[in-house]
Amino acid sequence: MTTPAIALENVSLTLDSKAGPVDILHDLSLQIETGETVGIVGPSGSGKSSLLMLMGALERATSGSIKAFGQDYGSLDEDHLARFRRDKMGIVFQSFHLIPTMTALENVSIPLELAGKEGAFAAARAALEQVGLGKRVDHYPSQLSGGEQQRVALARATVSGPAILLADEPTGNLDGATGASIIELLFGLQGDTDATLVLVTHDEALAARCSRVVRMSDGRIESDIREAAA
Amino acid sequence: MMLAWRLARRELRGSLGSFRVFLACLAIGVASIAAVGSITGAITAGLQGNGRALLGGDVELRLTHRFAEPEERAWLEDEAASLSEVITFRGMIGAPSGERALAQVKAVDGVYPLVGAVTLQDGTLDAALAEQGGTFGGVAEKALLDRLGLSIGDDLRLGTKTIALRGVIASEPDRQTGGIDLGPRLMVSTDALEGSGLLQEGSLYRTRYRLTLAEGDTAEAFQERLDEALPDAGWRWRDLSDPSPGTTRVVERIGTFLILVGLAALAVGGVGVSAATRGYLERKTETIGTLKALGASGGLTVAVYLIQIMLLTAIGIAIGLVIGAGVPLLLGPTLSEALPVPADFGVYPGALAEAAAYGAMTALLFALWPLAMARETPAAVLFRDVVEKGRRMPRPTYLIALLALFAALVGAAIFFSGDIRIGGFFIAGLVVALVAFALMAQVVRWIARRLSQNAALVRGRPALRLALANIGGPGSETTGVMLSLGLGLTLLSTIGQIDSNLRGLIAGDIADEAPAFFFLDIPAPQRDDFVAVAEADSAIEKIDTAPMLRGRITGINGEDADPEKISPEARWMLRGDRGLTYSATPPEGTTLTEGEWWPEDYTGEPLMSFIEEEGRQMGLKVGDTITINVLGRDLTARIANFREVEWRRMGINFTMVTNPAALQAAPHSHIATVYAGAGEEGRLTRLFAQDFPSAVAIPVREVIERTRDLIGQLADAVRGASLATILSGLIVLIGVTAAAQRRHLFEAAVLKTLGAERGTLMRAAVLRYLLLGSAAALLAVAIGAAAAWAVTTKVFEAEYVFALPSALLVGGLGVVATLVTCGYFARRMVAVMPARMLRSRE
Ligand SMILES: Nc1ncnc2c1ncn2[C@@H]1O[C@H](COP(=O)(O)OP(=O)(O)OP(=O)(O)O)[C@@H](O)[C@H]1O
Ligand SMILES: [Mg+2]
Repeated sequence: MTTPAIALENVSLTLDSKAGPVDILHDLSLQIETGETVGIVGPSGSGKSSLLMLMGALERATSGSIKAFGQDYGSLDEDHLARFRRDKMGIVFQSFHLIPTMTALENVSIPLELAGKEGAFAAARAALEQVGLGKRVDHYPSQLSGGEQQRVALARATVSGPAILLADEPTGNLDGATGASIIELLFGLQGDTDATLVLVTHDEALAARCSRVVRMSDGRIESDIREAAA
Repeated sequence: MMLAWRLARRELRGSLGSFRVFLACLAIGVASIAAVGSITGAITAGLQGNGRALLGGDVELRLTHRFAEPEERAWLEDEAASLSEVITFRGMIGAPSGERALAQVKAVDGVYPLVGAVTLQDGTLDAALAEQGGTFGGVAEKALLDRLGLSIGDDLRLGTKTIALRGVIASEPDRQTGGIDLGPRLMVSTDALEGSGLLQEGSLYRTRYRLTLAEGDTAEAFQERLDEALPDAGWRWRDLSDPSPGTTRVVERIGTFLILVGLAALAVGGVGVSAATRGYLERKTETIGTLKALGASGGLTVAVYLIQIMLLTAIGIAIGLVIGAGVPLLLGPTLSEALPVPADFGVYPGALAEAAAYGAMTALLFALWPLAMARETPAAVLFRDVVEKGRRMPRPTYLIALLALFAALVGAAIFFSGDIRIGGFFIAGLVVALVAFALMAQVVRWIARRLSQNAALVRGRPALRLALANIGGPGSETTGVMLSLGLGLTLLSTIGQIDSNLRGLIAGDIADEAPAFFFLDIPAPQRDDFVAVAEADSAIEKIDTAPMLRGRITGINGEDADPEKISPEARWMLRGDRGLTYSATPPEGTTLTEGEWWPEDYTGEPLMSFIEEEGRQMGLKVGDTITINVLGRDLTARIANFREVEWRRMGINFTMVTNPAALQAAPHSHIATVYAGAGEEGRLTRLFAQDFPSAVAIPVREVIERTRDLIGQLADAVRGASLATILSGLIVLIGVTAAAQRRHLFEAAVLKTLGAERGTLMRAAVLRYLLLGSAAALLAVAIGAAAAWAVTTKVFEAEYVFALPSALLVGGLGVVATLVTCGYFARRMVAVMPARMLRSRE
């Protein structure tokens, strides 16, 4: 048996808020195999984003263990986690989260530059061309439309060929047609590299394109259905 | 309008906290101006309040080189209620040890002082000065006792007389200070000088007739009667309207200048005001859009925020005024002790009004631009994510208002400083500096952009890459940091460079070329002996002598000399006595620039040679006539030529030189410059004292030393005043950084998501600030050097030397200020978990 891409065991997340601690995820276990595409659906506030943040090691679990390719997050310090993300993960957010002081090209080249790779700009340019933005490389995020910004974000998340792609409602801020084109790109990029994809979405139809659909409610996994074909 | 007021109040509620930078900037600038104004006011009032004591009566009439003639004296005695005669001159005091020192001698009569009292550490003045056993007494300032190692009871030599030291002066009501004191005070009675060989006609002494006016008489009426009865006496008149003109002028000058330095603090504060206003309005973009969508006109929108700005301005000014008026008031007792002049600390509404006016104009000036821009915010912002706004321009009305405000500010600076050039130059300098730093910010951004795209430079250096991208990117805080630090550092740098060069000039060139002594009051018959003694001494390298008289310019081309009619920089020529000399040949080192020198044996109509620069400033031409009152007699001479002298050579330089026949007959003494190596002063003083007891030796190197100290003190005062600018700059810097903080936190979160390590982020932040701080410091040093270069080479015609210590200080300060600020804020950036930051943005 191969090591799963992501394995969560009895994970709980409690966050402090002004009104006191809030339990967000309860004793949650989930195993995602390499190359799987997983859609996570569920009502607003059910903990989808929180789950994704944990997978991306952007947040530490209150209890339980999270592993990616057998590497336990709990045993790594922040910098190790950062390097792990840099080498293994690409993350896409609903609000794009581009760095406003950097051009499209610069945004995309950051992961490569952080890794000290040669030819960062050339690779970034190629990635932007792949998402159809070859002509907009020197534009700042503020000079791009929402759809274009999200394509830059996609290029940035995939430029270093991550083994895991995490996407949190990547089309949530976009209109239908634009959103659809982003999704095509996302699945296309995933298909090119055989990356493991975890996609949080409200859209049942979109989730259905994934090989597996995890349904959440109230911080728990309600159902977990694998497509028969897979 | 009522609607605007209500909306404004509603908006402002709860957002006062976000205006801390706005308020602090304004308050500091206003406080520094108010404080300087209050202190100046206190001193001016102190001088006025103690006017009678300082003046020694209601009126002082001063004569040079002579006593009042018996009939003049008789007239004064008749017309005034009381009269006192005081004589002042410089004299050499000999100690029993043989040491000699220069003192400012004051000989007083029995009724002195008419106002106030001289207090001694022990005993009374009358008793101390009286004759006892054939010897008159004297009292001295402690400094004289220290310098000569004297103790009470010692016998002193003054001229040919012996004076018994009987007391130490604790306070002297009419002691005038200002400028450089040439020696401590020795006070004796006039009777004691009888037969001393001093006070001969032509020696350099002044007689002062202090008088109190009879009941019902006024200074004006008295002056009128005096002019009528004794029109040609050549009195210098002084009354209570300005009892201490020299000191008043110095205090007002320094005060004016320090207030202008305070304006720099306000200008920096203005940058903070502008940034705070813009930040506030940006946060209110949605509100503004909503207001507009709900049907509010652009005018109403501006009114709503203008009212808020004005309220805040009023609060900021009020805080500033309380501090600016309160601190001098609290420190008053301490300051009074430290100040060499009387000061009357209190609340000076004029000074506060000036500070408030400057504060209000600056705040409005700097807040108006962002306000005018906000007016252009379309309701559509609600539906579009406007991250960077297009380059819109405010409407003409606002541009005109901006210009009008600026003009008012310049006008106020000129009005308050009372000098078009000083006020105008200073404001121009401020504007140039602000523009220079704004431009520098653009240049730095441009360079940073270029460098950040230089693959070879940034490969493998992600921190540098991030720092450069951040400096160069849109909406970066580059301009804010530059403007906040720029003015303060520039002020410091300019003061440092000028101070260092002036002091260097004085200590170097001037001290090297300067003579060891000026000798005054060498009696004319002894002049040749004096030269012979000097030439016989091997330590003396050179001696120059010249006849010396003093006189006051009373007429130009047959009309009364009116200071108001000549340009301000030459008025000093008419203000007091000027030295003059005569010479058959052009003095050494003279270049004639116009006209001819007179023949050696010329005896015709009196002719005069005038220094060209002063002559031109006074509006004189070759061929004009000048009337000078010398020893109570008018001498009218025609200007035969203009000449140039190198002022830095501290040789004998008289503005006015006449042909010998014009002045030879008037009683006069000679002066001499004696050149000798350092360290010979003590021996030479004693050497000349033996044969020439009345000659006064002024040790030039010591005077130079004191001048240098004085410049140092002035520079320190200006440095102190520029602290406000620096403080203001730091607050603006903190404000700018805090405003950028949210963005940096977010960027850090994104970068962490993309795999950036904490160290990389920290290094990037430090580098970013290091680069910005260095750039600001670099420009500040460059501007300071340029200003100092201009002053040194153009005004003082000396060679400019770059002052490295000052540059290092400025650079260090710039770097430290930015690093500390950055360090403070960067900690959070590094600590935050990305999820928190990213969620709050969703
Ligand atoms: N910093 C926080 N402190 C406390 N509670 C939080 C914090 N962030 C999120 N929550 C809460 O955690 C719960 C889960 O949030 P999460 O963002 O994971 O939900 P979601 O499923 O992504 O919802 P949506 O579909 O609206 O994006 C919500 O109830 C939310 O209010
Ligand atoms: Mg969510």
